[in-house]
Amino acid sequence: MRTVVLRAGATALTLAATLLSSAYVTAHLKNPAAPLQPTVVKAARAGGPTLGPSVQPGGGRPVTSTYAS
Amino acid sequence: MPPDARVEAHHFQALGTSCSLFAVGLSRSQLLQGEFWVHRLGARLTRFSPDSELSRFNATPGSWIDVSPELEALLRESLRAFETSAGLVNVAVLPSMSAIGYTRPLAESLPATTVSDARPLSALPDVLRVRTGAARLEPGAGIDLGGIAKGWMADRLCESLGPNTLANLGGDLSAGGPGPAGSGWPVGFAGVTVLLRDQGAATSSVRRRRWGALHHLIDPRTGVPAKTGLEEVSVVATSGLEAEVVAKTALLVGPELAPVYCAAHALAWWLSP
Repeated sequence: MRTVVLRAGATALTLAATLLSSAYVTAHLKNPAAPLQPTVVKAARAGGPTLGPSVQPGGGRPVTSTYAS
Repeated sequence: MPPDARVEAHHFQALGTSCSLFAVGLSRSQLLQGEFWVHRLGARLTRFSPDSELSRFNATPGSWIDVSPELEALLRESLRAFETSAGLVNVAVLPSMSAIGYTRPLAESLPATTVSDARPLSALPDVLRVRTGAARLEPGAGIDLGGIAKGWMADRLCESLGPNTLANLGGDLSAGGPGPAGSGWPVGFAGVTVLLRDQGAATSSVRRRRWGALHHLIDPRTGVPAKTGLEEVSVVATSGLEAEVVAKTALLVGPELAPVYCAAHALAWWLSP
């Protein structure tokens, strides 16, 4: 009798853990507020560059440019 | 905000292209020393002169050849670039350049518009070995340092000229220090201005150095000019050399993979189909 109770308890515990985990994962499957990986300061607009966090946009005139040669 | 510090600028022609040096706190004569260094090293690293150190190295395959510290460093960086680009940046491209007829500067004469005897490039570690003060090239192989040399030289210029310097060698540039206003060097990048500090930028393109249906950028997987769906890629990375390697690799992997590749390897990027 005691063995049966232990088996039933273990089974119930396993099922409960599975169901609770499944519910938690389903509820947290996607977080719209999560940051982009890698972090992007300025996502590319159509035809524009993509800048990472270590490259800051500047407002003034450039002294020089990168270009194809 | 403090006023911008005075920027000394110096422009010159070298390496078959336009070059510029900018510095805060340096004199014009110090920038001239930088120009002389570019000319001297460029003359040793060009493949277009039979008397250059690189040409003599290419002409003596099959044996260990003494090389200068600069050529040794560039060959080592080339092997590293081959590894980090999964073989897409391969300086053993000289046989393919010959196959497409690009054996002289384009300013002198345009090559033929046909390809003869092009084949996939050998893996660089299979044809190039480097040890301290010497290097060995296998028969049939040839080295063209191309953009790697420009990016590497821009980095060295920034290191040697001063702590607040920008070197632009034909679009491959390296920016060291805080720039004139303290927030980085303002650099034109894909139509916008970005502030670079201890970073580099480069552009790889098939739109320039083009004749007929051919161009200079060889795809090592085929040995012929690349056709990947991307025509131009600009990249900001941690150095001029790194930017050159990442930009060329991104162009060669094509438009589907390039955004993912750049997100992992570049600090900023622009892809043009």
